[in-house]
Amino acid sequence: MKKKSVVILSITLCLVFLSLWILQQLLMPKYMDNTKEGALISEYYDNAGNNDVVFIGDCEVYENFSPITLWEKYGITSFIRGSAQQMIWQSYYLMEETFRYETPKVMVFNVLSMKYDTPSSTGDSGKREAYNRMTLDGMRWSKHKWNAIQASLTEEEKTWNGEWMYLFPLLRYHDRWSQLNRDDFKYLFHRDQVSDNGYLMQTGIKPVTGEHPERPLADYTFGENSYYYLDKMVELCKAKGTQLVLIKAPTLSPIWWDEWDAQMEAYAEEHDLLYINFLDHQDEIGIDWNTDTYDTGFHLNVYGAEKLSDYFGKILQEECGITDRRNETELAEIWQEKVKIYYERKAKMEAATQ
Amino acid sequence: MKKLICSVLALIMVLSFAGCAGNEEGSTPSENKVDTPSSGNAPVVAEGYVFNYKGTKIPVNENFAPILKALGDPKSYDEKPSCAFNGKDKTYFYGSFYVATYPDGDNDYVSSVWFVDDSVATDEGITIGSAKADVEKAYGADGFNGTNAYIMTKGSSRLTIIMKDDVVSSIQYDAVTK
Repeated sequence: MKKKSVVILSITLCLVFLSLWILQQLLMPKYMDNTKEGALISEYYDNAGNNDVVFIGDCEVYENFSPITLWEKYGITSFIRGSAQQMIWQSYYLMEETFRYETPKVMVFNVLSMKYDTPSSTGDSGKREAYNRMTLDGMRWSKHKWNAIQASLTEEEKTWNGEWMYLFPLLRYHDRWSQLNRDDFKYLFHRDQVSDNGYLMQTGIKPVTGEHPERPLADYTFGENSYYYLDKMVELCKAKGTQLVLIKAPTLSPIWWDEWDAQMEAYAEEHDLLYINFLDHQDEIGIDWNTDTYDTGFHLNVYGAEKLSDYFGKILQEECGITDRRNETELAEIWQEKVKIYYERKAKMEAATQ
Repeated sequence: MKKLICSVLALIMVLSFAGCAGNEEGSTPSENKVDTPSSGNAPVVAEGYVFNYKGTKIPVNENFAPILKALGDPKSYDEKPSCAFNGKDKTYFYGSFYVATYPDGDNDYVSSVWFVDDSVATDEGITIGSAKADVEKAYGADGFNGTNAYIMTKGSSRLTIIMKDDVVSSIQYDAVTK
């Protein structure tokens, strides 16, 4: 009788947890049609391993670099672990997590997020949480995810144990049932691939028409917390034998102040890192702000991203020693398929934007 | 046995809905939510630092539509897309000052105002070019950050006066975000 009870209880518990899991899958945003940025982080896991270069950072990596171009031109394998307004503490834990799956030769970190020192400094709470979700919800369960969640909470969120909402998204999304649409059922158990190895393609063209106004700051010094996580990145990469390369993407807004640039240059020199501010190399890259941006200079479109990747590929090859792997048959076959998908996507998007 | 199963079910139900208590705003960052920033950023009309331009008050966190109507067409206008969000931050230039807005639902709300020349002044008479002594006479010295700026918060607004060589170089009104 006792054994029977245990079996019944076990089956009941399994069914309950399975139901809750399915319910959670149903209620979580899918990011398949709109706001595809929310689907980027989870796409890494199917592509983890065998990447010579991994990019980490905000929109300035996933909008501006094309791994397909790096492969086509230089035989470099790479993946972009980027997400919208990714904070530096999230970047660090994504980097930590990446090392669980592979040890790339080069880690590339875009330094724009240095300007946000604490979770509270990143804007209003609603928007910040939506951005956090786009990074954290896509991470698989691990201590890295837990630490990323803890680091992302504001003091206010900590007072009501906000971490549980990230750990069990059902707690957060349970009242989303009234917003469910066809996609929520269509993508209940799977997702389409929205990126090309983490690159989110844009084919539109919207030229730069003038300067985007920015007001001066009272203090241009990066905060202690930002430096804390940058230091941790340096230590982590050093321990793993991976070269850390700091970059600033060549986009015109948000502004990259000279004072910020000077701090990064000094930091790179002090820690013997390669730091490239691509804003200083726009002419060499060949960026044409009439054709290479889809939003008046905030991000590059695919034409600009291909130019920038071509330029950076040469640096990765010559200065970082990344070798051409196009002669590895098995790898080349895998990448040929990626290239095919990339050009199909490009053609489809170009047709849609014309 | 039944009691145990019922207890487990009850506990799970409680846990599932526990989130409601923790989230004061009751909003969800779903795809719909992402289209328009959270309702947690609803306009707050509070006492604070307000820029007054020729009789038109421009409080931060206030719906900009009626203010825009009163100010008239700007000399220039700029839009700033935000990563992933559909709404756009907008900036209006009126020759001697900028007004920046953030979207919330169908409306735009004032996020900041900043001066670019000395033809406009705060209610206390401080302009770009004012001396440090004048700033302290108008606002006191409590807001001084110890290096180069006076940063004062009142209600949901913040007034920042940046100094260079003991002279005001920038004046900015900001919405204080939660």
